[in-house]
Amino acid sequence: MNSRVIGKPLLAIIAMLSISSFLAACASTTPTCGSPQSRNLSSAIDGVQTALLNGCQAHFDRYYDELLDVAEGDPKAENKREFSEFLVWSSDKGLLSTRQAEDYYNRYFNVKFMSMRGEYNNCSHTCPNKKKVLLDMERELGDKERGLLKVNRDADAYYRADQLFQEVELVLEATCSACAAGR
Amino acid sequence: MKICASRLILPVSIVAFSLLSAQSSLANSPTIRLFPTTVVEDLRQTGNVARDMETGLQEVIGRLDQQQGLYHESKCDGADNDPGCQRLARQIGATYLEMLTVMEERLPDMEHTVNNTRNSLEKGLRNELGKKMTPWKLQETLIGGKANETKATNAPTLRGRSGMRLSERFNQYYKLVATSGAKGDQSLAVLASDIYLDMEETSLLIQRTRQEIARATLMEQLNQSFGIITPEMIEVVGGVKSILFGDEEGQALVAGPPPGSIEQAYRSPLEQ
Repeated sequence: MNSRVIGKPLLAIIAMLSISSFLAACASTTPTCGSPQSRNLSSAIDGVQTALLNGCQAHFDRYYDELLDVAEGDPKAENKREFSEFLVWSSDKGLLSTRQAEDYYNRYFNVKFMSMRGEYNNCSHTCPNKKKVLLDMERELGDKERGLLKVNRDADAYYRADQLFQEVELVLEATCSACAAGR
Repeated sequence: MKICASRLILPVSIVAFSLLSAQSSLANSPTIRLFPTTVVEDLRQTGNVARDMETGLQEVIGRLDQQQGLYHESKCDGADNDPGCQRLARQIGATYLEMLTVMEERLPDMEHTVNNTRNSLEKGLRNELGKKMTPWKLQETLIGGKANETKATNAPTLRGRSGMRLSERFNQYYKLVATSGAKGDQSLAVLASDIYLDMEETSLLIQRTRQEIARATLMEQLNQSFGIITPEMIEVVGGVKSILFGDEEGQALVAGPPPGSIEQAYRSPLEQ
């Protein structure tokens, strides 16, 4: 009788201890999601891929930014391929949708502007939002400067993007004015 | 003989242009139609009207410059009561009135041709770039499907239009449009936009100038009785000179190509 009375609390204590030790074990496997340690782009990408597979998906934006930082330290034409392959891998692993992967890539490494995407005609869609479109393009040009010029060392592509931005600005001014005139 | 030759040059060049543009339009079809033949003709006509106005004004403005020079050399500044200076000031005022009259006569023609060009371009821009294209398509048109070939295209834009005679400006536009068959759509879109914005600005300027001429003529008729040179008069003459004949030191700035032309071999499967 006595041993039964003592046994119940003891069992409860043992159960609580085992639960807390289980929780502690869980806590110790929580990913740290640290920054890539290597200054070599391929190794940094390897590190990031491991982290992303181990529960750090929520940090994708930060990792992409840090990889760009690493690549800026060693700018060369091949960097573009490394980023493309990394994004295709991310899409294959379901970390990004295809559309997101395209956005990440083209925003930094394509001459064309993702801010100038739309399904409707310019008179009805672009002109009413001209100011915002141009502001977004200006921001994107900053990212292209980073991707094309500082990471990929492709000054020509960056200047072409800059020229395209200026041309779009001019053509939109004229087109939107013509759309509004309706003479 | 010289006149005969110059009379022949124009029709011959128009026929040559028509043949060339017909040939090139066949080679580059389908293209966006931003420059129908009416626009080319309007531009040529505007250039001619501008040249006529310049010719008419050149002599008057030359005379004004001489008279102003004489006025300053005679130390007439501040000597308003001197009868000789008053006579000189009246002569300057009369020449100024003559300038305003020439402008008054020529500006309606100019306004008409400028407005015609603007309206034709406006229709083309609205339909071809505004209604038939999405923003992405517009971007592709501007880049000419050569996003990866980062080689610079020849920018046909006429940035900084001051410093150029008015007729020369229209002549340049005409030449650019007339030879545009050889260029891609991307150049045409920028060129059409550039000319359209310039025409709109010019049209507004002409409208304002015509309103001002009536006021300035009345003012000068009043001033004639007193023999005064107003600062406004000097300012107007200066303005007309710079619009019609350009700044001597100014040069038309044409956007230069970016340095280098390295093609990037790699194309990502993600690239749009």
